[in-house]
Amino acid sequence: MKLLLGTLLLGILVPEELGYDGSLAQHRREVVEETVSQRRGLDAYSYKRYHPMEEIYQWMIQISEKYAEVVTQHFLGMTYETRPMYYLKISQPSNNPKKIIWMDCGIHAREWIAPAFCQWFVKEILQNYKDDSRIKKLLRNLDFYVLPILNIDGYIYTWTTDRLWRKSRSSHNNGTCFGTDLNRNFNVSWCSIGASRNCQDITFCGTGPVSEPETKAVSSLIESKKDNIVCFLTMHSFGQLILTPYGYTKNKSSNHEELIQVGQKAANALKEKHGTNYRVGSSADILYATSGSSRDWARDIGIPFSYTFELRDNGTYGFVLPEGQIQATCEESMAAILSVLDDVYEKYWGTDSAGKAASSAVVLGLLVSFMSLL
Amino acid sequence: MPPRLQPPPASGTRRPRAAVLPLALLLSLALQGVAAAPAGAGEPEDSLRRRDPELPRGLLEQAARAALHFVNFRAGSPSTLRVLADVLEGRARVNPKKECQVDLVFTTDRYNPEEGEERLGKCSARVFFRNQKPRPAINVTCTRLIEKNKRQQEDYLLYKHMKQLKTPLDVVSIPDSHGHIDPSLRPIWDLAFLGGSYVMWEKTTQFLHYYMAQLSSVNQWKTNDDAIDFDYTVLLHEFSTQEIIPCRIHLVWYPGKPLKVKYHCQELQTPEEASGTEEGSAVAPTELNNF
Repeated sequence: MKLLLGTLLLGILVPEELGYDGSLAQHRREVVEETVSQRRGLDAYSYKRYHPMEEIYQWMIQISEKYAEVVTQHFLGMTYETRPMYYLKISQPSNNPKKIIWMDCGIHAREWIAPAFCQWFVKEILQNYKDDSRIKKLLRNLDFYVLPILNIDGYIYTWTTDRLWRKSRSSHNNGTCFGTDLNRNFNVSWCSIGASRNCQDITFCGTGPVSEPETKAVSSLIESKKDNIVCFLTMHSFGQLILTPYGYTKNKSSNHEELIQVGQKAANALKEKHGTNYRVGSSADILYATSGSSRDWARDIGIPFSYTFELRDNGTYGFVLPEGQIQATCEESMAAILSVLDDVYEKYWGTDSAGKAASSAVVLGLLVSFMSLL
Repeated sequence: MPPRLQPPPASGTRRPRAAVLPLALLLSLALQGVAAAPAGAGEPEDSLRRRDPELPRGLLEQAARAALHFVNFRAGSPSTLRVLADVLEGRARVNPKKECQVDLVFTTDRYNPEEGEERLGKCSARVFFRNQKPRPAINVTCTRLIEKNKRQQEDYLLYKHMKQLKTPLDVVSIPDSHGHIDPSLRPIWDLAFLGGSYVMWEKTTQFLHYYMAQLSSVNQWKTNDDAIDFDYTVLLHEFSTQEIIPCRIHLVWYPGKPLKVKYHCQELQTPEEASGTEEGSAVAPTELNNF
């Protein structure tokens, strides 16, 4: 009986699949045309301009289709105003064990250069991963998860209504008060310092830790993959800073020295591009006290390399950075990020040992080379 | 995890016996796990400055900013505005009333840099912060960045350009959302920045400083009686609160004459945030403000 049913179903389905009525051929033609025009769209996409959200949504689809062999688009969650949040996963298929690099941009709506950088970063990786040995190496064991805009509602609001809006667009107090500072909403020493319980304030920490859907969406994913995430990078502007944990305390993380060292190297690499000066330090030391930040939370759930980048400039234009500076900013920031990634890669898959690069292994190596000289 | 050690220099290749000593040192260092602090980690500038570790970080930069706003305001020249380049040295003292005196030397850059021009100026200043009360007292002298004649010339050119602008000015915001300032509107921005400098000087404390984020509206632009009469609103970005503060500014400017400024900023209502700051309202008691 089942066999009969199965055959019947097959009989109904298969002809559709094979387009006996000719519709599939038509459909295929349409798909090809669509793809061609989309690819043309991607060729015309300018990474040196700021893009509204609709264009970024389109760009993500086009990117994941053009580079389908390494890119997939993933749903992360919904914003307060029920918009979908997507991240791009860049992963070179292989049998190698992989660790994850997380990068998010635009947690603060007005910091437009940050989402511009996320798009630039994706473009650079994808345009060069086949030919560039440095990027090829990184993709051997690292997967990139890139969230081009975290605070989508806020970003759209800066395009339609208020260019200098910072928070999300959640509604409070019967619609009299809007927005949570998403970077005060994470579950780490929540609202203890450098944040406000007043929803009118620009550093409003929310109604509770992880009260906002955007924060929930990011936290859930990171939490579920935390054992494999080695690097958490969150991009902001402005200030020209590379910030290590913590903001909620002047105490330092257990790997503080290492974070500073890697950060300083990145700042040096950045400076070599266009001479731009970045400072490196813990948030509480060189910026100001904050609680509930994503970077601190990421560090405290065990992600070893956790940084906030504050991109250009130093206040001359501040949040309203001219489009003319996008290219230079992205080039130098790219150099910094690649430097961090190199160091991270070196640490886990370093050239002098098969597994973790422990200092004893380094010394042993040196000992051996010295002994051979005596 | 202890940081990676740098490999030692290649002395071992030439003198095998001498290599044993540095090697032993290296080994002992590795075993102790001593961090090899790289040059440039953290704040290298600290070593050049003598400062009381009790003082808030960035105090010298705060003082430099306040001094620069004052310099710009006092010069009254929209074509030769200065921005901070570097703080070279500084000292600070706090008195029992928690008032803070900062002596410092810093370099400046032109706000509107021009090709082939020597850019760096140098200023030495004494800034007196009155324990979170605004309006730091400033004593400052700067090297001449631009020759007086040239400055007057450029100001006059700017003035002539502004007189020719069609009123009412069709300005939505400067810069626009993408950071563009139309070259024909640049003088308006510079003049607005000049007026904004007065406001930002008065509002700067040892903990709060300001950037001019945007000129959000032009309320009035009059050029009768020769002087430029300019009524406008700017959005100041307040650091470290991150707030955006709209300030309505009314200035009168004529090249070579001291700037006349009146302003009113919308302050936030929350008491804990506004502690110590007064509303910067209407006529500030200064001989320069003669409305």
